[in-house]
Amino acid sequence: MKKIIHNIIILTSIFVTGIGLILMSAGIVYADDCFNINNESIDKNTNTRPFICFEHDIHNETAGIENCSECHHIYDEHEELVPDESSEGQPCSECHADSKNSNNTDIGLAAKYHKLCRDCHLSREKGPVVCGECHRK
Amino acid sequence: MHDYYSFFTGPFAWITFLVFIFGSGWRFYSIWQLAKKKDSAVFEYMNMKFALRSIAHWIIPFGSRSMQINPAMTVVTFMFHISLFITPLFVFGHVVLWKENFNISWFTLSNTVADLMTLIVIGSCLFFLWRRIKLADVRYLTTPMDFIILFIVAAPFVTGFWVYHQFPGFAVMTIIHIISGEIMLMAIPFTKLFHMFLFPFTRGYIGSEFGGVRMAKDW
Amino acid sequence: MTEAKSVTETKKTEDQGILKGLEQLTPEKIESVIQQVLSDETGARLKVYVETCVHCGMCSKGCHFFLSLNDPRYSPAGKVKQTLWEIMRKKGKVSPEFIKQAATIAYTQCNMCKRCAMYCPFGLDVAYVMSVMRRICHKLGVVPLYIQDTAHSHSVTMNQMWVKDDEWIDTLMWQEEEAQDAMENLRIPLDKEGADIFYSVIGPEPKFRAQLIFQAAVIMNAAGENWTMPSMPGWDNSDMCMFTGDYEMMERLKRRHFESALNLRAKRIVMGECGHAFRSVYDVGNRALGWRMPPIEVVHAIEYYNELFENNKIKIKKKFEQPVTLHDPCNISRGRGLHEMARNIVNATCENFIEMTPNREHNYCCSAGGGVINCGPPFKNARVESGKQKAKQLFAAKAKGAEVVIAPCHNCHGGLEDIIHHYGVEMELKFFGDIIYEILELPE
Repeated sequence: MKKIIHNIIILTSIFVTGIGLILMSAGIVYADDCFNINNESIDKNTNTRPFICFEHDIHNETAGIENCSECHHIYDEHEELVPDESSEGQPCSECHADSKNSNNTDIGLAAKYHKLCRDCHLSREKGPVVCGECHRK
Repeated sequence: MHDYYSFFTGPFAWITFLVFIFGSGWRFYSIWQLAKKKDSAVFEYMNMKFALRSIAHWIIPFGSRSMQINPAMTVVTFMFHISLFITPLFVFGHVVLWKENFNISWFTLSNTVADLMTLIVIGSCLFFLWRRIKLADVRYLTTPMDFIILFIVAAPFVTGFWVYHQFPGFAVMTIIHIISGEIMLMAIPFTKLFHMFLFPFTRGYIGSEFGGVRMAKDW
Repeated sequence: MTEAKSVTETKKTEDQGILKGLEQLTPEKIESVIQQVLSDETGARLKVYVETCVHCGMCSKGCHFFLSLNDPRYSPAGKVKQTLWEIMRKKGKVSPEFIKQAATIAYTQCNMCKRCAMYCPFGLDVAYVMSVMRRICHKLGVVPLYIQDTAHSHSVTMNQMWVKDDEWIDTLMWQEEEAQDAMENLRIPLDKEGADIFYSVIGPEPKFRAQLIFQAAVIMNAAGENWTMPSMPGWDNSDMCMFTGDYEMMERLKRRHFESALNLRAKRIVMGECGHAFRSVYDVGNRALGWRMPPIEVVHAIEYYNELFENNKIKIKKKFEQPVTLHDPCNISRGRGLHEMARNIVNATCENFIEMTPNREHNYCCSAGGGVINCGPPFKNARVESGKQKAKQLFAAKAKGAEVVIAPCHNCHGGLEDIIHHYGVEMELKFFGDIIYEILELPE
């Protein structure tokens, strides 16, 4: 009996240590460098991959985008798009800041960002859509 | 590429959810009906206290003698099942998709943790594969379907690992990752993967029999 | 991890009951009987057991057949694979040859001890699956000869051993007389109404081990019990029909037994040291008759003896001196949790107690239970071989000094006797009754 209890204790501690080690490694942060989007709200974030350099002018030229409001949109208080007005110079987070989640990540802002790019790329059937195409290692 | 992405994250994803939810519901319902018709005694002997007592002993690592005499299997199987559930639910890349599509979000794992847990799942699948091939008693029980299930379970994790580390062809692999996850979900109601839902009932019943009638431990 | 050998050749069955039964089978008959059993008599339980098994092999180490023979065929799930798994997959379209093998497995390679249910993470009850296989075989008429003979005896005489009504009474009177040498005025009261204890035994007691009745009578008298035994059929609590799959007959037997006690308005049934009989009265038979628990309190000898010591109803001269070890029979430890009471009795009666390991619910089976020993000589060698693990366990207890094995179950006695003899363990076997009788201080 004593031996069994002893074994249980040893084996359980091995198990708990294993899980503990994994959880401890949660602190390791990936370095983020190439960021040319003004994004204070996610810079403490430990989860996202750095964004590849978004080459603004080349992108718009290739995509044939002339109207800034296609991306830098403005909605009125009825949540309707205001035509002919755009929001460049204004950080996305001014409107799209969401509650922070447990990792201090503004996941709502990230979600909005993803949708903006991906929805457009999917409708035009051009441009990156899967995670790794923008969030390069 | 864009077509596939749209299809497998759109209509096919909905089909997957429906198959998973209704398939599991149907499976439960049919077992329930059959039990009511043919095994009414089962309900008579089910006992919440003893069922929970048994389940508790079997979901705590090394809580049963069976686990104590199979330490390797116990460690691997617990790490495997925990990682199998935690990783897909809490990896950041998935939570952000929930946020995008349903505007709900929750706790996320750091990438390193998710990466390690993915490796645990893959490693565990290799261990299970090794057992199936190497141990004579397990090999004797193994059917081709058992290998297929192992493959179905490992696939989303192998492809996920591939995608996260951006090995060559990761863009296509992302689509395969999505499909493999959907296949796994859809397979649950129709394969032995359904054991995840039946566990509390089979364990609970034998626990009730042992506790209530046999007055003995079952761990 | 135990490295099992690969699958070995199956031995040819030479059992005449199985072989004769097979001669009458056609694939059509097999299919229709299987369909009937599966659709009418089983349901979600069987389906869930067979479908939930993930083929992980954790049950292997739960089975003494596998541990002794190291052949994957003998792991609990391996036995399901060779029986119901295949039958359900083929929807009953199996050959007579398959049935022959399945019958051999279900009747002689599983003691229905349910130890594997404690090793399966899902608690799947392989003994139940084997009992379904036996039920199918019973309905197909493919049952090993010797156990079928006991089932026939049950149906003709309501006891297991073809004991005639007058022989039963005669035996009781004979044992009464013998016991009077030890204790003057000793009685074995027959058919006494309103007794506190209705004492029932198994068929083999009057047939081969009449001294056990004598001992029980002495203990009852020494304790000053108000007890009785029935003079008419219903006295036998054993039940081989439960093990052949003849549930109709099992119900008749259990009903007769309960009614014997209830007709005499007895307060409770006390049974001799038998495991399977206890299982049939306490667990299986009552359910078949629709009783959630037995309609009258059923007390196994261990519980009863424990009571005697706890209430100081009997006194002992001195403790039993030889070092003893205790074999926990499946049907009363795993089947009724009496193992702690058994230890209380050991401590009250013996000087020196050595545990065998594993013990209590985890004890290894004697290889004889579940009707396996009752399948008789054609399967004896195989049965003793499957007791190798038990022999190792006994040797280990012996190495620690144990000289006597207490086995409070008839089947266990039979099985352990063969194992002790075959492997040269050289230990003495005793019932609790033997020990208590030996050290009992008889009242003046």
